[in-house]
Amino acid sequence: MRRAAVAALAVAVAAALVTPLSAQDAEPARTLIAGPGAELTAARCGICHEVTHITRARLSRGEWQDNVRNMIERGAPIAPAEVAPIVDYLATYYSRDSAPPAAAEAPPAAAGDPVARLLAEHGCNACHALGQKLVGPSFREVAARYAGDAGAAARLGAKIRGGGAGAWGTIPMPPHPRLADDDLGRLAGWVLEQR
Amino acid sequence: MSETSNDRRSTSARGRPLQRSRRHFVAGAAGASALAAARPGAVWAQASPPVTPAAVPNEAVMAEKNPALRIHSERPLTASVTADQHNFAVTPSDRMFIRNNLLTPDLLATEHRLVIKGLVERELRLAVGELTQRFPVVTLQGMLECAGSGRAAFTPTPSGTPWSATGGMGCPQWTGVRLRDVLRAAGLKSGAAHVAGQGGDFGVVASAAPVIRSVPLAKALEENTLIAFGMNGAPLPKVHGFPLRLVVPGWVGSASTKWVHTITVLDAPFKGTYMDSSYRIPRTPVKPGEKMPPDAVVTEAWPVKSMITSPAPNAAFKLGQAVLIEGRAWVGEGDIDRVEVSFDEGASWRRAYLDSSGDKYAWRTFSFDFRPRRAGYATVLARATDDRGNVQPIVPAWNPLGYFWNGIHRVGFVVEA
Repeated sequence: MRRAAVAALAVAVAAALVTPLSAQDAEPARTLIAGPGAELTAARCGICHEVTHITRARLSRGEWQDNVRNMIERGAPIAPAEVAPIVDYLATYYSRDSAPPAAAEAPPAAAGDPVARLLAEHGCNACHALGQKLVGPSFREVAARYAGDAGAAARLGAKIRGGGAGAWGTIPMPPHPRLADDDLGRLAGWVLEQR
Repeated sequence: MSETSNDRRSTSARGRPLQRSRRHFVAGAAGASALAAARPGAVWAQASPPVTPAAVPNEAVMAEKNPALRIHSERPLTASVTADQHNFAVTPSDRMFIRNNLLTPDLLATEHRLVIKGLVERELRLAVGELTQRFPVVTLQGMLECAGSGRAAFTPTPSGTPWSATGGMGCPQWTGVRLRDVLRAAGLKSGAAHVAGQGGDFGVVASAAPVIRSVPLAKALEENTLIAFGMNGAPLPKVHGFPLRLVVPGWVGSASTKWVHTITVLDAPFKGTYMDSSYRIPRTPVKPGEKMPPDAVVTEAWPVKSMITSPAPNAAFKLGQAVLIEGRAWVGEGDIDRVEVSFDEGASWRRAYLDSSGDKYAWRTFSFDFRPRRAGYATVLARATDDRGNVQPIVPAWNPLGYFWNGIHRVGFVVEA
């Protein structure tokens, strides 16, 4: 249940972070607009690419359909039953023809949680969940592996910032060079507490 | 066609097979249903796996690049310089655009093998060193441009990497052996019609489709089509295909398979996502926002295009001072016949000086010595015409994936009194 809570936080935070959009935004948003299907879309599409590939786009429903089909052909792990909710979400919130519906109001507690904000902003949730292995190990598995290691925070921080490969399998973790030192420490500390 | 045929039978640095763990991951992550996704062309994806599965971090890639290179996306890595940062006769390696489809593989030249198979008399399996021993080595300057270069200039903006009107191309010098020499050594069988290159890049997920693209036999046998190992006199940088890549100059970049490890001779165009869903363009214009029509074709040679590399936008000049207009013009097949410039937004055109020397598929440099008569804001437009009479359009036809932007480039500058 804590996993659901974290994910809900992420979406809620996304809603809090995202301001009214226009296709001409110089810097596309790094999180998706909250709405039905946002979490699924971020989890699936965010495995291989940043969600800015979505947030900078405004496409017709037909183009989104083609796009999702194309990504599945390219190997995106999207189950057949997930296609319709993802296309619906994209065609509703990133439409060339209509403005996105007003975002759901974020719970105030969520918007203030700095860790939830970091997890959403840096795409951690796309590959990691609290208790379940997704693309990468769960946060609890990571915490368990570093248990009793005095230098864990520094080592994990370096891994988050620089990326890695091989420690958990063959899928390399992309680097996150934009993380500020403070945020990196906060994030690593939080992960190590998840036991 | 089976799912297993798509697996790279890679081994890790420790020699442990990776196949099982990768497959296990996909099944665990998204359920077996994900594996049922369309996998056209899987039958060709089986042979000659890359040996090293590690990825080069983006930071290591960008550390070798000029700070002028702007990153458009980090996963996959795409980056380019603006037109005013392109004012070089030969594109320096640190300014060459990056367009990955997947991750940057960290391949070992000593372990890399190139397999030639399909409709050939004898399959070849060549080490990098064998290529240079067995075949003549050639060096030539050749144009590469991503099919989507200029996408952001279309209205409305199609989906995909938002390359600016002048981003996503470069013209370095390549060193390698001719693809045709290697194909002839393998011996073409009758019926050979297309030649497909497969790259050793891999994705974040094991289910990522391998990057495979084919070109018609005639282009594969063209003397400027290379299996390249060098760029601007040095080994290929990792992000540009180390240790081997195809260079199919003048054609869309996707034809120039990076990290090539398998070349398959086919009796028809390769069937796969990088042929049949991406890199396609309608035969005739469609209404903006419409889906790809079923009779669309695969993008091949770039249409005629040019860009103004100097002055930079909003550069300042003194009245009485000459303003040197400089730029590059190119076309995928054929040659540039002329370049004209306009200082009145296209109402009238004046012929620019065109340096027609250079390799067949290299861009051409044009220049014009402009003497402004009055102070104020001024603009210059450039348009190229090829030797078949094709001229750059004001606005090229919109297409669903935003390919082949070759609209007339315009730069504004300031003349101070």
